[in-house]
Amino acid sequence: MDLQSLMQLGLEIGKIVLIAAVVLVFMLVAVLYMVLKLRWVIARIQSRLGPNRTGPWGVLQTVADALKLFQKEDVIPCGADRWLFTLAPALVFIPAYMVYVVVPFGHGLTARSLSVGVMYISAISSIGVIGIVVAGWASNNKWSLLGAFRGASQLIAYEVPIILALVVPVLVSQSMDLNAIVSGQVGNFWNWNLFHVTGWPMLPVAFLMLLVAGFAEINVVPFDIMEAESELVAGFNTEYSGMKFALFFLAEFAASFTLSAIIVTLFLGGYQPPLHILGGQLTGLALSAVSLCWFMAKCWLLVVFIMWVRSTLPRVRVDQLMNLAWKVLIPVGLGNLLLTGAYVTFWMPK
Amino acid sequence: MKKKSTILKDIANSFVSIPKGLWVTLVNWSIARPCVTELYPEQRPELPENYRGLPALPVDPKTGRSRCIGCGACARMCPEHIITVELDKTDPKDRKPAVFEIDISRCMWCGLCTEVCPTNCLVMSKNFELACRTREQMIYTLQDLMRLGGEFPPEPETEEEPKET
Repeated sequence: MDLQSLMQLGLEIGKIVLIAAVVLVFMLVAVLYMVLKLRWVIARIQSRLGPNRTGPWGVLQTVADALKLFQKEDVIPCGADRWLFTLAPALVFIPAYMVYVVVPFGHGLTARSLSVGVMYISAISSIGVIGIVVAGWASNNKWSLLGAFRGASQLIAYEVPIILALVVPVLVSQSMDLNAIVSGQVGNFWNWNLFHVTGWPMLPVAFLMLLVAGFAEINVVPFDIMEAESELVAGFNTEYSGMKFALFFLAEFAASFTLSAIIVTLFLGGYQPPLHILGGQLTGLALSAVSLCWFMAKCWLLVVFIMWVRSTLPRVRVDQLMNLAWKVLIPVGLGNLLLTGAYVTFWMPK
Repeated sequence: MKKKSTILKDIANSFVSIPKGLWVTLVNWSIARPCVTELYPEQRPELPENYRGLPALPVDPKTGRSRCIGCGACARMCPEHIITVELDKTDPKDRKPAVFEIDISRCMWCGLCTEVCPTNCLVMSKNFELACRTREQMIYTLQDLMRLGGEFPPEPETEEEPKET
């Protein structure tokens, strides 16, 4: 191997590390702010004030919380399986982090544009279940184990409707590449998959399914039966504290951003502006910057919507949750898929 | 067959009830309801008129001392026996307490002591910030009770009214 190719290899590795670091920092900052925003939103809805003491308007509250978690003693219960107990937070966190690889944040702002992006996302995000089961098992605690079992049944059940919903825009766009799907929705907002006339009613149904199943997949309140504070103490992460707990927490909030990003990319035009004149005619770096802003704005709206739903609905029972997945979402999803397939084969304008 | 129809009904219901619930929280979120949280140290609570805080001995502005005559009715009435009153016997014409102590650590804020007080000199004040570091500090002496009681309000002249009419 000569010097030049070695240097190229080094450059490539440096680039990868840089991108990974940028994405990680973005994720950390986003999660810190999302936790704060969640507390503000829920407080406001419950006629409270929320955090307002740490820093101006309480903006440093989550930073202080994170610092507190860093300082905490790393407790491993004596009956726990040490190795698995330590491994589990990483098993949950790394998939949540890896999903960001394919997310198109803006025009030309994708870490790696894979041609099987949608499949990659659904595959990677289902690894997280293993982490949750491992965490529950290794804790040697009945609440953790119950939470993990619930989590396994819930997440595996909801993988199916999610994939059935993801396939619909893929079929309509004729591509699994997220960038291609976004470019297929170019123009004004009525060209977005959700509002596109020709895709009606399959795409809105898929959108709704993805939204409902996504709530279960990211484990937020109407479907948070694997944590269920009032039933299971804290579910699979009962025994975790300090940094390990912080990783679970981080993964959970990162996942809710990821869900928003996926829904935005597949159904709400990704980084495209809602009207072409609001940035669609730009080129180069300006286009990248403006499209990044649009992407973030849309994701943020969805994230706030998730918080809103979260502070409105009560938790469902386990059997209700399972009924919803197997008796409603999956039959509807299959029918929807059939309809979409027929539409794409016979009637879709080429 | 019956079960199937309830599932369909539930689905139909959810399309109505979930937006309804979201609307309720949205209204709360946006404008309609003010925050009920008090920023306590900076923002003082508005206490009701009959608030029962620390039983205290307000100072009579005319004489500069409490109106207590040291009769000890409060000490006898107190269900917890936390009030200690000793009459000052130096001047038989001037009845005043030599010792007046309340051990607030066992007080249950029933207010019976203020009800039996013949001169109405013992009142439930509005002091509620009584945290301290030792048990000894929870025993309030005459001086403390006078300091915390403030002054008597100007007297409503009830006795003169019947004469006028």
